[in-house]
Amino acid sequence: MTSLQDFGLLFVILFGGVILSFASDVFATGLNFRNVALASTVVAVMAIGQTFVILVAGIDLSVGAMLALSSVLSVGFTIKQGLPVGISIVLALLVGLFVGLINGLSVTLLNIPPLIATLASMSIVRGFAYIYSGGMNITPTPDIFSQFQEATVFGVPLVIIFTLVLGIIAHITLTKTSFGRQVFSTGGNALASKLAGIRVNRVIIYCYMISGFSAALAGILLSARLDAGAATAGMGYELTVISACVIGGVSLFGGEGKIGAVFLGVLLLALVQNAINLLEVPANYDYVVSGLVIAAAASLDVYRRGLVDAGLKRSNSAQKVESPEEK
Amino acid sequence: MARAADQHVLLQANNLTKAFPGVMALNGVNFQVRAGEVNALVGENGAGKSTLIKIIAGYYTPDSGEIKINGESLKFTTKAAHIAGIATIHQDHQLIPNMSVAENISLGMWETKYGFVSKRRESERAEGILSEILPNLDPQKLAKALSPAEAQLVEISKALSENSKILVMDEPTSSLSAVEVDRLFEIVAKLKNNGLGIVFVSHWLDEVFKISDTITVLRDGKLVDSVPANSITRDEIIRKMVGRDIKEVKSTSQGTSKKVLEVKNLSRNGILENISFNVNAGEIVTLVGLEGAGRSEIAECIFGIEKYHKGEILVDGVPISKSNPKAAIKAGIGLVPEDRHSQAMLPKMSVKNNISVALLKSFTRLSWLLPKEEEAIYANMKARLKIKAPTSETKIATLSGGNQQKVILGRWLSLNPKLLILDEPTKGVDVAAKAEISKIITEMATLGTAVLLISSELPEVLALSDRVIVIRSGNISGELIGSSITQKSIMDLAMAI
Repeated sequence: MTSLQDFGLLFVILFGGVILSFASDVFATGLNFRNVALASTVVAVMAIGQTFVILVAGIDLSVGAMLALSSVLSVGFTIKQGLPVGISIVLALLVGLFVGLINGLSVTLLNIPPLIATLASMSIVRGFAYIYSGGMNITPTPDIFSQFQEATVFGVPLVIIFTLVLGIIAHITLTKTSFGRQVFSTGGNALASKLAGIRVNRVIIYCYMISGFSAALAGILLSARLDAGAATAGMGYELTVISACVIGGVSLFGGEGKIGAVFLGVLLLALVQNAINLLEVPANYDYVVSGLVIAAAASLDVYRRGLVDAGLKRSNSAQKVESPEEK
Repeated sequence: MARAADQHVLLQANNLTKAFPGVMALNGVNFQVRAGEVNALVGENGAGKSTLIKIIAGYYTPDSGEIKINGESLKFTTKAAHIAGIATIHQDHQLIPNMSVAENISLGMWETKYGFVSKRRESERAEGILSEILPNLDPQKLAKALSPAEAQLVEISKALSENSKILVMDEPTSSLSAVEVDRLFEIVAKLKNNGLGIVFVSHWLDEVFKISDTITVLRDGKLVDSVPANSITRDEIIRKMVGRDIKEVKSTSQGTSKKVLEVKNLSRNGILENISFNVNAGEIVTLVGLEGAGRSEIAECIFGIEKYHKGEILVDGVPISKSNPKAAIKAGIGLVPEDRHSQAMLPKMSVKNNISVALLKSFTRLSWLLPKEEEAIYANMKARLKIKAPTSETKIATLSGGNQQKVILGRWLSLNPKLLILDEPTKGVDVAAKAEISKIITEMATLGTAVLLISSELPEVLALSDRVIVIRSGNISGELIGSSITQKSIMDLAMAI
């Protein structure tokens, strides 16, 4: 069932691609593909972390703000404070881990609903990005940023390879390691997992830390792309990232999802953006079109789940024995 | 107690039969409700009380038989039951907590004026409805601010309409204090005098004797007797409930003298008081008691799910280090919880993953899972427990209840625990799986595991237990060993007040 769903998403992307290649001369060119892929990297890296959080039935709204804070810190520590580039980058990543830790603690120990906890941290983190940068872009970036951005391996931009490798690592972590199993188990039924001896709170906190870390990493990639530390960057990215996860079939109820499919979700959103640009849709329609695509993908997903559940029930009723006296 | 044969029969059920796969829930039951009479339905769990009530209320359609209201055949739908004047109060509360009493009462039948809900009219209507039963209640009070008794009475008021003839109450006193029960009974007496026929289901025999005019006893889906309450004793009722054929008792105790579990003076505020007992290696000890007596709470304290404020729990003489499930598992305890769906199953995961989840460590090297070892654990348990699943990747949610329960049992068996706690392990599983699960439990004990069983099914208790500890209102009310374990002795200890 799941493979069919992944295939469905792939089919939509290919089908859309074929239509676009007829509609626009520019679409089916190497340069355009490269641009679409490059534009996807920042969101893709954030989506990796978000997937972990949604898998444990959480949500992380602070990633857009974290992206901005990391963007200004990674550049600013070197430009303003004169620290070596390597140290600046490590510090920015540590801040990401720390924000994730705070999110995780709020959700587990303080029992604040994830939506509220990360809404609060979103605002606070964005505030710190403004405070640190004074609301201005921090330029120029150290040379290594632009070198990384322009580097290629056999003609493929290094950023794209970097993102794919991160995706593969995340996929392996989720499917082949004990931690990954605990993530799925916690998301599927936290109480049952706890009673099976899994330290559920710890698993959830780690997932928020992974999300904070990947948002920080995405912030550094963004600085390289923009050639600046930008406090205003990433407004609303949290919604794009969550949309990509949902389109990729990650269940908001937790316990279900695949990194590969999430990447396809990211790609689909990037293609829609690309189509809007290429087909010269007036800029003001941009949000409406994106929203419609998300709504369509989500409805399709609900419909598909309905079919799967119905199938489950049918096979169930054949075997399951009704127990009349159960209250 | 003006019960007389000449009183008007409101409801006459003839020959009701209802089968569920593997269970004959009701078998040719006749049942009557007269005007101005309280008819108490009693019987063990699984006797058919709920099924009978649900048929009367229109939730189930019987396989055969009929119900006549004032001589007319009743159709088996909730709507037909409602029109015929049957009001049903369910066991769990159904008021919406954040709405006022008035809003709850007019739910679905809003009083509107120009399309707007009229608060004033809503309030007036609620006052009218409440005037009979709860004249002093402010209809604007939020439902969550009501005491359990008030909530119960509001539900009764709501369920009763002008044409109500019969009031059916399923365990209405289970969440009420003694004073509140008295208040409820006053109301019931009042309704009775107004000519309503009342069906009352309760586990509490004292209450049954206090309130009812007629007592109807069900056992294994059959009507045993229906007699005037003042012509029968408590002991006779218990004997009728459990049947005369007292089942064979296990002859030899399997237990050794090696204490595995020691519970000392366990107390939890308002729920458990000074509970002390041991379970030895190879012994099956069963905790028996009515729903809410505190059996599951004892298990939850032992397994570290709930905190207790006094007492000590030792495994092999060593106190459990921390009060959490992980520490309990480390100490060698396994728990098959009461509610399989919410507490045990990982519904989106495969049977294999469901079995292995508690011992991830054993097949993890450097945080890497070893698929072959996991597969071996599954294969072992599948063979040992005869789990019927097409492949190891089959989702647990698609299996039958009995097979799901075997998977959960397998989760703990593969850990080879010193103590296995089983809370209602055969609840909601079919007869065949029940027998298999009982056999597995006995085998575990034979292999030296200490077993702490919690069960409401007396035949199961009799067949498996070496020792029975009866819990009543958070206290141990008695302990039975060997041949002293009988249905009668258990019921006496569980129900006396």
